[in-house]
Amino acid sequence: MIEVNGLSKAFKVRTRLKRRRDDQWWPWRFGRDQADGGGQLMAVSDVHFRAADGQILGLLGPNGAGKTTTLRMLAGLIKPDAGTLQVDGIDVTRRRAEALARMGVLSDAHGLYPRLTARENIAYYAALHGLTREAAEARIEMLAGLFDMRRLLDRRTDGFSQGERMKTALARALVHDPANIVLDEPTNGLDVIATRSLRETLRYLRSPAGGAKCIVFSSHIMQEVERLCDRVVVVSHGRTVADGDVDTLLAATGQTDFEEAFVRLAFADSSGLDRRERRTDRMLR
Amino acid sequence: MSVHGAVWAVFRKEAVDAVRDRRTLMMVLVSAVMAGPLLLVAMASFLATAQSRNEVRDVVIWGSDRAPTLVNYLQRQSYAIRQAPADYEARLSRSALSAPVVVIPANFEADLQQGELPVVEIVSDSANSQAKSGVARIERMLNGFNRERASLGLALRGVSVALLEPVQVDTRDIANAQTRSAQLTSMLPFFVMMAVLYGTLGAALDTTAGERERGSLEPLLMNPTEGFVIVLGKWAAVATVGVVIAALSSWSFLPTQWVLRSDALSALFLYGAREASLFMLALVPLAAAVAAALMAVAIRCKSFKEAQASSTLLVLVFSLMPLVTLFNAGASAPWHLWVPALAQNTLMARVLRGESLDVQSVLIPTAVCSALTLICLAFVARSLRRAATR
Repeated sequence: MIEVNGLSKAFKVRTRLKRRRDDQWWPWRFGRDQADGGGQLMAVSDVHFRAADGQILGLLGPNGAGKTTTLRMLAGLIKPDAGTLQVDGIDVTRRRAEALARMGVLSDAHGLYPRLTARENIAYYAALHGLTREAAEARIEMLAGLFDMRRLLDRRTDGFSQGERMKTALARALVHDPANIVLDEPTNGLDVIATRSLRETLRYLRSPAGGAKCIVFSSHIMQEVERLCDRVVVVSHGRTVADGDVDTLLAATGQTDFEEAFVRLAFADSSGLDRRERRTDRMLR
Repeated sequence: MSVHGAVWAVFRKEAVDAVRDRRTLMMVLVSAVMAGPLLLVAMASFLATAQSRNEVRDVVIWGSDRAPTLVNYLQRQSYAIRQAPADYEARLSRSALSAPVVVIPANFEADLQQGELPVVEIVSDSANSQAKSGVARIERMLNGFNRERASLGLALRGVSVALLEPVQVDTRDIANAQTRSAQLTSMLPFFVMMAVLYGTLGAALDTTAGERERGSLEPLLMNPTEGFVIVLGKWAAVATVGVVIAALSSWSFLPTQWVLRSDALSALFLYGAREASLFMLALVPLAAAVAAALMAVAIRCKSFKEAQASSTLLVLVFSLMPLVTLFNAGASAPWHLWVPALAQNTLMARVLRGESLDVQSVLIPTAVCSALTLICLAFVARSLRRAATR
């Protein structure tokens, strides 16, 4: 179970007038329209959600909404300014290692080591999680079966296709059989078949047979979230603006199309949308 | 998981990764292992020619038939007379002739008998180093002829020969064999240190900037392993590469020496297992510090290329350090031991000169390198998470 409450994070911003020595470190993903003045940029201002076991929770939001920053805070890479992040009741900021041991994270960047084989890539993470060699081997075989990647295992990852890379990275993230799985835009760059196969795998992992995992999955693609998620959290401008299953969100916005419902929810308080709509209207006329 | 187990896991992975980077590894190994032996071969061939020049007792003369007295003297000194070719000047210029030419004027013999001071020229080309190095020998030889003629003249007139040389001059070289060899081998420490630097460069950059460029740093930090453990494992792997290169390059002189079997070389270059071990004593802390320093520079860079550019400054400073001793005419000051690279250069030069190393002169550079290593590693560990999310 993953529980996030009142999460906020601001980054320092490089401005022309005021250059700070340490501002070169701020992350590159954030909404440009979120500048808060005073060299601060609110990447996340109030994100909250609760993902239960045996459930897939979709974190849906436009580019720069704060999804990646939220997931990076969840993985303990960035310290939040305020709020709490708990994994199975363990506070991520205070007991990071324990929390990470219960979590498998597939981040936006999921580079592999090209000179190692897929098996070695996965075994490396198994060793970092403290698995014995035998346990790691058994787990790799099991995951290779699950992701249909047995023939890939002993090939060097240099020259892998995008889909093969994704499978390897996902197997690597799940090598320690975590109860909680966090995926940041996992379908980016995947073709239809690979996306479909990933969807199947996630459904299996959610099922009791697959371990009834708690899965948090960020995306900006409506169809994906609509097809896969039991629960959807819409994040916009660094805030949670809606939370519920697809039907609830449709009902709340009075829409029948999920994409339309998402646009209403995500851009409800944005004058930017109005401007965009007016411009589109003018063009149509 | 134990810290030690995690460090070992990171170390093993980085070591495998470095060993599989065949092209880089081969380049580094070839340059590290070959640099020393190649230098030795060059030294051996230089010594061999110098030796043969010394042993050769022949004189190249243009117009030897004009100077029977001189030829007689030379033959008595067991010199062989060789006729100079007609185009000796051209040959000297293009180094086809490796000995200076003694040019006898047309009426040498008559002038000599009448005390007319005939002029004998020694022709060489200052760009032809072999011919040039023979000039002194020919001069000494001709001076001997002059002295003999003079003493004969004086003896005929009943004057003591001692009048000609009121002071007897004798030269005595107090440099021992190792000091003489140090002049020839002063470049060796520099080569060995460069091998260590370039050996660690690739691995250090790959484990930091390379990891960022591949996008593998962020997932790596999402493991329950602490940042400093990862840094420690990576550094251990990079430093090991450096130490292996250091060992290869300092021990590579030994077999080459046996193969060359040049007496002149073995007299001048006293390098055995003891010297190789002392080299290692100086180089191991340096390899550790260089690995950490390169990682600290590279962790700030997003790509391998950027890291290469950033590390240029470090490489430059490192390679300029040994030059300080050159500006100081080879003398070492006490503060040299406090500067990494310069200290190791000083220590290795001392080893080559056959001087013994006291405990203090080994401890100071080791302590400085250890401190530098710790500072750099702390910096890398602190920067790791920010580097992953930038």
